[in-house]
This record gives sequence, C-alpha cells and structure tokens, in this order.
Amino acid sequence: MKSNSLAVGLGVLGVIFLIIAGLYAIGVLQIATSTTSGPHIKHAVLFVVLAVASLVAANFARPRTA
Amino acid sequence: MGLLQGASELFPVSSLGHAVIVPSLLHWSFKQSDPSFVPFLVLLHLGTATALLILYRDQWVVIIRGFFTAAFRGQIKTDSERLAMLLLVGTIPAAILGVFLESRIKSLFASPYVAAGFLVVNGALMLGFEFMRRRAERVALTTSGGLTTSGRIETEEQFAQAERISFKAAALVGACQALAFFPGISRSGVTIGGGLLAGLRHQEAARFSFLLATPVILGAGILEVPQLFSSGVPVGEYVAAAVLSGIAAYASARFLLRYFRSGRLDPYGWYCIAAGLVSLALLGLNL
Repeated sequence: MKSNSLAVGLGVLGVIFLIIAGLYAIGVLQIATSTTSGPHIKHAVLFVVLAVASLVAANFARPRTA
Repeated sequence: MGLLQGASELFPVSSLGHAVIVPSLLHWSFKQSDPSFVPFLVLLHLGTATALLILYRDQWVVIIRGFFTAAFRGQIKTDSERLAMLLLVGTIPAAILGVFLESRIKSLFASPYVAAGFLVVNGALMLGFEFMRRRAERVALTTSGGLTTSGRIETEEQFAQAERISFKAAALVGACQALAFFPGISRSGVTIGGGLLAGLRHQEAARFSFLLATPVILGAGILEVPQLFSSGVPVGEYVAAAVLSGIAAYASARFLLRYFRSGRLDPYGWYCIAAGLVSLALLGLNL
C-alpha cells in the first residue's frame, strides 16, 4: 500500500515519537513510569525505536517514480 | 545460577521460572526482593545475548546491513532484508509490552508457587503447540500427495524458513514474548510455538526465536547494567556468573538447533509439567 498521504502521516508520527523520546529522556514526561521523577531512558529508547520504525515505514509507503 | 540461567534461557522451559523456583527449593540465601536481583538476572541475560550474538555473528552482520539497505531504499529485495524487517516488526510489540508491563507483572507474580503453576501452564502450551503442528503436518502431507511414510526431516521440509514468515505473524510471535514476563512461561517456548503455528520448520522457528530474543535481551541488559554498579553488589562474582551463563547458553543453542532438525517440543512440555507439579508438591510440603 503506497501513498503520499500515508508516507507523510508515518513521517509525522516518527517525529512525534522522537519528541516523546526526548521528553522521557530529560524527565519532563512521567506517563506510565514506575517513578514520578527523573529521566526514563528505557521509555526514551522505546520511543526512538518506534520513531525509527515509523520513519522506515514512511519510506516504504512513499510511491516510487520509475 | 549462571549455569542454570544460561542453560534454561534458550530451552523452552522458562529460565525465570527456574530462577524463582530453584533457589527457594534449595534454600539458597538469594533474596528475590533484593534490589540487585533483577539487575543480576539481567546481567545473566546479557551473557546469553552475547552468546547468541557470537553464534549468529555472520547472520547479524548480514541482517544489520540488510536493515539499512532496505530502510534507505524503501523496498525489500533480498531474504536478509526481509528478515531484518521481520525482526524489527517482531521486536516492537515485545519492547512496548516490556517497557510498560514487565515490572508490574513480575512484581505481581514473583512467587515460587506461582512460577511452579505457570511452569505447568508452559508445559501444556508446548504440548498444545505440537498438537496443532501435528494437525498441520497431516494436512500438508495430504495436500502434497499423501506421503504418510516420509521421515521427520522430510516432513519438516514441507514448512517454511524464517525469512518467509508473514509480517503479521512476526508481530504476533514478537508479542508472544510478553507472556514470558509471567515466571514459568518460557520466552523461547512461546516464540518457537508461535513460529510453528505460523508455519515455520522447528529449526527455523528456533532460529527466529533466538534472533528475535537477542535485541530485546541485549537492550534490556544494557539499560539495567548501571543499576548493578550503583547498588553495591559483588560485580566480579556477577560477571563471572554472566560468563558461565553465556557459555551454557551457547552450548544450549547449538544443541537445540541440532535437536530441532527433527525433534519436537513435547519432551520439554512434559518436563515442565512434571517439574511444575513436583515443585508445587515440594514447596507445599516445605521440604
């Protein structure tokens, strides 16, 4: 399934995941964590992985011009 | 503990279950509530992951290269590129569930009684996977011309290699890893079983399971290592245990890959049921 809108959507999702990763890494975001303060590197790494996956999926979804 | 962890991590018999049950049965002075217990286990896992990296070093080079090539090209052209993407897809559900649920589930169920109970469940799962697989084998043999007298290896060849698994199946197999947060349920057992249900050969299901486990175990291990150094534990002894764990894991993986050329999950299923029931009885009698 290839379309420009899907590719853009996945790309935006990737950027959002990167921002969330950054917020977890500096300790601003505390949602679904075991402690209520400090950085959450595990969560940050997870969102970096999700960002990478989204950006890769965006590249796959991009229509090719032959 | 290192040898036990390394040997039981890749066998479909739940290393976590054994790590919870065995010290209790043998009255080892090992406090599972100790803050260094989980980092210690993670360090042992790191030994296992290193063993798997060494075992599959050539494949990992090809997989990593395949990942970057396919990611930048935006297209999958080779088997190794497909395998790299399958591993990414399979790792994501396990990573999400691991980050958000692992500590909650483990703290809820970290009791030898519960682990022994889940070990019995794990055994039943293994037998269930093989029951469904045998049914699939009968269907495959019937559709391929009724070669009912063919040997195990020929029967296995009717099934697929890891690279041919669908992306949906890879995600499901990856999500199955989360079941291993319940002490007594084996990560390799459920992922090998999931691979069998997805139509892989036993040996390929084991290979996919080991490849899938490596980034998760390695990632979790690396992230937990700083805790180990900050909690004032005997790091030297723990590292020695991790090395032993790695050696046992390497030998286990070699054995299992050979065994699954024609072997099945049944013996491990029966072992888990027996071990779980015996453990429950011994724990109940407080021996």
